[in-house]
Amino acid sequence: MSIDPYYLQQLAIGLSQGVIYALMAIGFTLIFGVLNVVNFAHGEIYTLGAFVGLLVIATFAPPLVVVLLLVAAVGALFGVGLERIAFKPFRRFSDEASLKSRAMRESTLMSSLAVSIVVREALEIGFGSQMQTMPFEAMINKPIALGPVTIVTGDVIIFAVAVVMLVALQWLLTRTRVGLAIRAVSANPLGAKYVGIDTDRTIVTTFAVGSMMGAAAGLLVGLYYGSIFPAMGFVPGIKAFVAMVMGGLSSIPGAVICALLLGLSEGLATTFVSSNWADMVAYGFLVVTLIFFPQGLFGAGRERV
Amino acid sequence: MSLLEIAGVTVRMGVQQILNGVDLSVPERGIVAVLGSNGVGKTTLMRTISGIYRANGGSIRFAGEEIAQLRSHEIVARGLAQAPEGRQIFAPMSVRENLVLGGGVHGLSELDRVLALFPKLAERMGQTAGSLSGGEQQMLCIARALMAKPKILLLDEPSLGLAPKLVKTIFDLVAAIRAEGISILIVEQNAKAALRIADRAAVMEGGRIVLEGPAGEIAEDPRVVEAYLGGHVHA
Repeated sequence: MSIDPYYLQQLAIGLSQGVIYALMAIGFTLIFGVLNVVNFAHGEIYTLGAFVGLLVIATFAPPLVVVLLLVAAVGALFGVGLERIAFKPFRRFSDEASLKSRAMRESTLMSSLAVSIVVREALEIGFGSQMQTMPFEAMINKPIALGPVTIVTGDVIIFAVAVVMLVALQWLLTRTRVGLAIRAVSANPLGAKYVGIDTDRTIVTTFAVGSMMGAAAGLLVGLYYGSIFPAMGFVPGIKAFVAMVMGGLSSIPGAVICALLLGLSEGLATTFVSSNWADMVAYGFLVVTLIFFPQGLFGAGRERV
Repeated sequence: MSLLEIAGVTVRMGVQQILNGVDLSVPERGIVAVLGSNGVGKTTLMRTISGIYRANGGSIRFAGEEIAQLRSHEIVARGLAQAPEGRQIFAPMSVRENLVLGGGVHGLSELDRVLALFPKLAERMGQTAGSLSGGEQQMLCIARALMAKPKILLLDEPSLGLAPKLVKTIFDLVAAIRAEGISILIVEQNAKAALRIADRAAVMEGGRIVLEGPAGEIAEDPRVVEAYLGGHVHA
């Protein structure tokens, strides 16, 4: 029995999509870990990554690695700015009551949502709401034949970038003081203060790291599909959110595995049913997870970050 | 000269006045115990000294420097570490990682000294902190604070929830830590155990210190005997 190469191709596309969700979900999860809040502007960081990439490529067309590094750096800056505007002002009080207060968490939901709307609308004013095309030479869709299967350079590049980022993140979180501080704040914000961790600085760093990955994901998707638009961050944002919830809200490995699962299932749904049903897969997963595994598939008993 | 000098410290939370002008000092290489029942402001005082809460008034001088307006990480960096109430260890992280975090800029430079005091932790370095027993978690909490090379160690209810045998172990350790030249400010409900190791003691009521003096005198003060030592004096 032989498998139709078409399915393998769809699987490759699904895997790339899953990897993109994973990069997004990591940012979500890191930020949820340190602050216990959902950052609704994460999708816009992804969109901004794509647009900054377009601007960089259109103005001086550097090699892909340079574009990636620039976008990651700008993404980090956006993350820091986002934290300053939408999160820090609600963290003026450090007593236990405010740390646990729901009112404070809910205000950051609103403020990050507000930032996301402002960013999207600003991009629409600046670029128009229609698709922008990436310069063809910069796209990562050159075919690579693997026997009967044809994948594109983008599948390989996205996978490689994600692996590098995951390894770097793992190193950061387990081998550096900054990373240990991020995990400490996630595990016990009050305890972190007692050991002399500058929690504000740690939170800003977390936003920088998470947004760096989100912006890189947006750029890669733009180069993979060749077109970008101001509202492009919304759907992947939701998908990454689903992956985070499925993974148990605070487990990075859980979020990554669930994101890959999501991408692959969408690929399969596109193949066997129709692409219209692909989105239903994600929302179906979310509903099933919330009903049957309220703590997420990898939630209970796991380390937060 | 006192290492830690607290004068007229007030803390308000919302409409509630928790600390009403606390005066207290800890001498170099001394052990000072603060006694008092639940809700008199002991933990608030400890948190205010460590910069978790901001004092609304008064001054906190540490090694001659005013620290009342500094942030918690700046205070730890100056050599004031605390083993807080409820331990506040990083449960999902390993014992080693907890100690590394405690060390801050000093990293693991104090590790050998600290493990000499807490040999049990040496066997548990790779385990997650959350998997330790209550007594071991308390030891980790104190060990973590010592990793920061403090000049003074603040202990908030170190014996809470521990079996009597462990309480004795913990207090013996506190005495051993002082012997290494570290001053100690300890808050305890177990007045008997605290008074045994302390040089000076203070009694807190309603957000202020109502009685202060050498531990021996405090232990014999009729009001203290009545309220905290169960009615009769222990030698």
